Amino acid sequence: MKIYTILLPLLYCYSAYAEQETLVLVDNLNIKETHSQFFKSLQERGYTLTYKLADDANLVLSKYGEYLYKNLIIFSPSVIEFGGQIDTDGITKFIDDGGNVLLAGNSASSDLYREIASECGFEMDEESAAVIDHFNFDSLDDGDHTRIVVSPRNLINAPTIVGSQNTKPLLFEGTGLILDKDNSLVLPLLTADSTAYSYNPKSQVKEYPHAVGRKTVLIAALQARNNARIVFSGSLFFFSDDAFNAPVSKVHGDKVKSDESGNKELAINLSQWVFGERGQLRVKQVHHHRQGEDNSSDTYTIIDTVVYRIEIEELKNGKWQPFNSNDVQLEFVRIDPFIRTTLQKKPSGVYEAIFKVPDVWGVYQFKVDYDRIGYTRLYHSTQVSVRPLQHTQYERFIPSAYPYYVSAFSMMFGVFLFSIVFLYYKEDTPKSKNE
Amino acid sequence: MPSVISVIPKLYHEYTTKTSKKLKIVDAYLLYVFLTGVIQFVYCCLVGTFPFNSFLSGFISCVSSFVLGVCLRLQVNPENKNEFSGLSAERGFADFIFAHLVLHIVVMNFIG
Repeated sequence: MKIYTILLPLLYCYSAYAEQETLVLVDNLNIKETHSQFFKSLQERGYTLTYKLADDANLVLSKYGEYLYKNLIIFSPSVIEFGGQIDTDGITKFIDDGGNVLLAGNSASSDLYREIASECGFEMDEESAAVIDHFNFDSLDDGDHTRIVVSPRNLINAPTIVGSQNTKPLLFEGTGLILDKDNSLVLPLLTADSTAYSYNPKSQVKEYPHAVGRKTVLIAALQARNNARIVFSGSLFFFSDDAFNAPVSKVHGDKVKSDESGNKELAINLSQWVFGERGQLRVKQVHHHRQGEDNSSDTYTIIDTVVYRIEIEELKNGKWQPFNSNDVQLEFVRIDPFIRTTLQKKPSGVYEAIFKVPDVWGVYQFKVDYDRIGYTRLYHSTQVSVRPLQHTQYERFIPSAYPYYVSAFSMMFGVFLFSIVFLYYKEDTPKSKNE
Repeated sequence: MPSVISVIPKLYHEYTTKTSKKLKIVDAYLLYVFLTGVIQFVYCCLVGTFPFNSFLSGFISCVSSFVLGVCLRLQVNPENKNEFSGLSAERGFADFIFAHLVLHIVVMNFIG
């Protein structure tokens, strides 16, 4: 009995964290020490971290077609080529199969980083380029003005990703990213101020920098169509203990001062989002029926009023809980949407819509397609058919139709009467004619 | 213009004297069918097309009866004997009745 009491929690832990296997690729194992707070916060939340050198010859992501890791952290900007079986294609495939990736580079990042970035829809500035801001640098800067102070106002407005309590200034030192505006899946999580630009700090600015002002993205994210998440930070320093603990004091401008940077908070929030602890939605149950009935039906007619209910859950603190929102929409689609309506929120995560079936026959779908920044894409469709009324379902003996009834019967009666008269004469006249 | 007006009494005179009585019976029937159809149409214009299937079936039953009546009149007219050689007037009447049976079954099905 005692053994069980010890074993059961262990078993529970094992099953709960089985999905949290995380591979950390580093340049040198020193990073384990310099970024210890970040890794510690992950371990406290139940991740099993496996540290490997990025050029380790025995690196593998999958074995016998099964991935060994759910998440991948790449903190190895200077690696020129991954060791073992990992390469850009391998990482792309890992993302395609639903794996989450957290990448952090710096101004010395190799072309390998650029390859991965362009696979994910970002563009990393040229080698040795760093984000420079002569108006927003920290007092601990070494003269290049690359250790910049970024206001939390520059964060994307998405509490699911960055958390809702970012008030402290952020420290950043690294390279800038450029996003393709047409790509709707990538998100600029943190942008630089309008006075920033990305260039090699050691050389004179001769060409127009690739990234200027607010277009310089410091941290970018991608949520792929399969809900795999990637966070790409231009700064490895951003996640370091140095940045977590350093006091912030801006030299110019509003001279923002803070005893502690907001990096730790943001880094933890980002890691929670990227590894799927937050912003996960799922459909628990879908039910549709005629108003006044309980049983579901797969055919409706134009006289029916349909009640559609969908139950949506959100992952919160490791548990699936009712999802709260008031902008979930339903579409009733036959190639085009015939009805598009906002679902009414009911208690315990149930969303309901009541509508009259359109007066067009065909095969329809109830579609809920909920795609919001920071949340996984929620898509659910149910197929039903809208059929014509049965012959017995039509209205009969409508008062205004009585003249038509009368005329139709009078036509019958007319033929009958006409036949009698016609036949009578037929017998009478031809006799005299023939004779 | 005067010639047109002078034609009408002549036409009436010719009709009353030269048309056989059997054809006159058919004409009376056709007139009755025609008037019923017109009344229905006027009623529909006044009331609206709401039970549209009822209107259609009522009106179509009149139109079809009229067409069938005209066909019967062509076949039983002695002047058209050459056109319908080999087809007796009795055969024409039987066709007329058969077509009416089909018509009224359809009309009753559709009238609602």
